[in-house]
Amino acid sequence: MEEENAEKIKKERDECKKLAEDYLAGWKRERADFINFKRDESERIQKSVKLSEKEIVKNFLLILDSLYLLEKHSKNIEGFSNVNKQISAFLDSMKVKEIDCLNKEFDPNLHEAVEVIEGKEEIPIVVEIVQKGYIMDNMVVRPVKVKIANKIDKPSK
Amino acid sequence: MAKILGIDLGTTFSAMAVMEGGEPKIIENREGSRTTPSVAAITKTGERLVGIPARRQQITNSQNTVYAVKRLIGRRYSDIEVQKDKKLLPYEIKEASDGGIEIKMGGKWYKPAEISAMVLQKLKADAEEKLGEEITEAIITCPAYFDDSQRKATKVAGEIAGLKVERVINEPTAAALAYGLNNKKGQQILVYDFGGGTFDVSILDVTEETLKVIGTGGDTHLGGEDFDQRIMEWVISEFKKDQGIDLSNDHLALQRIKEAAEKAKIELSGSLETEINLPFITSDSSGPKHLLIKFTRAKLEDLVSNYIQRSIELVKQTLREAKMDIKGIEEVVLVGGQTRMPRIQEEIKKLFGKEPNKSINPDEVVAVGAAIQGGILKGEMKEVLLLDVTPLSLGIETYGGVNTVLIQKNTTVPTAKTQIFSTASDSQTSVEIHVLQGERPMANDNKTLGRFILDGIPPAPRGLPQVEVTFDIDANGILNVSAKDKATGKTQSIKIEGSIGMADEEIERLKKEAEVHASEDKKKKELIEARNLADNLIYTWEKTEKESGSKISEGVKKEIQDKIVELKKAKDSENTEEIKQKTNELSQAMQKAGAELYKQNPPEPNK
Repeated sequence: MEEENAEKIKKERDECKKLAEDYLAGWKRERADFINFKRDESERIQKSVKLSEKEIVKNFLLILDSLYLLEKHSKNIEGFSNVNKQISAFLDSMKVKEIDCLNKEFDPNLHEAVEVIEGKEEIPIVVEIVQKGYIMDNMVVRPVKVKIANKIDKPSK
Repeated sequence: MAKILGIDLGTTFSAMAVMEGGEPKIIENREGSRTTPSVAAITKTGERLVGIPARRQQITNSQNTVYAVKRLIGRRYSDIEVQKDKKLLPYEIKEASDGGIEIKMGGKWYKPAEISAMVLQKLKADAEEKLGEEITEAIITCPAYFDDSQRKATKVAGEIAGLKVERVINEPTAAALAYGLNNKKGQQILVYDFGGGTFDVSILDVTEETLKVIGTGGDTHLGGEDFDQRIMEWVISEFKKDQGIDLSNDHLALQRIKEAAEKAKIELSGSLETEINLPFITSDSSGPKHLLIKFTRAKLEDLVSNYIQRSIELVKQTLREAKMDIKGIEEVVLVGGQTRMPRIQEEIKKLFGKEPNKSINPDEVVAVGAAIQGGILKGEMKEVLLLDVTPLSLGIETYGGVNTVLIQKNTTVPTAKTQIFSTASDSQTSVEIHVLQGERPMANDNKTLGRFILDGIPPAPRGLPQVEVTFDIDANGILNVSAKDKATGKTQSIKIEGSIGMADEEIERLKKEAEVHASEDKKKKELIEARNLADNLIYTWEKTEKESGSKISEGVKKEIQDKIVELKKAKDSENTEEIKQKTNELSQAMQKAGAELYKQNPPEPNK
């Protein structure tokens, strides 16, 4: 009788012990998950700051485009070069660089073709920049829109 | 544990998601976008491009750039649909020996599944880069109307890309899963999916084991792109009316208009009016021309109303075909970017008489659902420890009958929060802690959970004693509120059970009430705050006068006294603005007193 009782208590104790271990393991896991989450989250926040900076720059570029068009159409606006310097300084501070592409081979990772004209080259070459493009920290903020020259294949049909 | 990638393989765009810590999460591609164009291309130099770069070179290489392959996958060449689409596609297709389709790209013939595989391969590689682990399993979605052959081909595409496709599930099913509607047994769900190029309607029946599709309809050639096109046409015609110049043959102008049209469309989902502003769009002999058009939401709705009406007609038709009554639909789910348009949401609401499910990003909801299906298969959904949240905010009543919240609603428990409070009058020896539950700013409008008094605070000027109030909710929802006087260490507390458990209806009622009363409550709170500020200022003056009244000239004192009388009168009114103004006047008068004091007793310079 007593032995039976002792057996029962022992069993209960073992069960409790196991339960306690399970809880502790779960708790540790939860803590670890939380610490990892915090670390990942801070990375994510930094990344999303970068992405929102990119969005802001992208919207600013639209205004910049108009400014360049204005300058192109009404030559020698007084003070434009000074304004342009300010703009360049801002873009530099944001680590934004213009994509240089004229007369280079067309690269769809950086360029977006908007028009193709007949050319002699086998590989497509950028012959005109239609809208400037920019990169920021190795991210394309906006691809440069280009006109390219290419030997045009006649449809095979 | 290896993750299952949930993939929404779309006609124009694809998206992907995984389960992370029991929550679905969209994975961005290498370029940082949450969706990837479903486009593949082979360049003249033989390079394979997928996604954004493929689209950027499309115009230079249209015959070798394959998009919308979803319209072809798993179909027979002789299908009427295929023959119709063939005329619209710039790339070449032919009948394969088995009656299927082959597509020419870069001088080679590919099966549609092979092209889809290229898109899937990119998604897989980008996901692996992002997650830092190999992905070998996937759930891919397809339209509900896909037949066996189309589903099989979708699965084959996944396998070519190196993915073991655990399931091919229906897009509407995935969308319903994302909203957890699989638990609503016995209900009927309608999924309204207005994408970039296709419009799908599906009706689902939630059974014990599955979400069964009981009706499908739609138009495979109606989408958001039609809206953009309609806007462009309108802009061109307006410009022609205004300036007499036709832009429809000007490549570069068209490019700019297209982008501006899409941007304006998106903006009009959030505002009532926008501008399409394209300076130097073209020029003629008289000089440069600018395009500047005011674009209102009403105009947009007018331009595309027939498309929206058509979609509503298709919904009705699908219901008729499924022999379903509008009243029989318990839940409506919105999918596809175009459903962000307020007019579409209104039309749906009008038709069904209820709010559609739209809280999850409609471009991502299908991928999210696919990831959840993956989680269910892996048993990940069950492993998650379910933690409760507080359905309503918890706080205490502070000076002026204001409800000061300590624990915000929707906070996951167990949790604890401590804040220091003080006394409102001089020599106050006790504080009442009135525990409140609810969203309204005034204490009286919330539910009282309990109250107790902390006494024995040593007499001191108001604002000086520090009473530390702690709210602690344990995992069982038992709220323990304690207050401690930091000077004496004296503590009082109360235990409140069931601070979480409240009938759903009551929670809803309280939340609704808070919404309805939001603006009047705000006014009331502002009034109380203005009164408190006035009180404080009067108190400050009384204290200053007692301490150093003799050093202030009678003229200034008189002015201040007059201002105080005015302020006290204003304070009894309900006019917040007047109280603020009188408080301001008193404050300015008091500054004069301050200036006099400093003149007599210049502050010692810092040592």
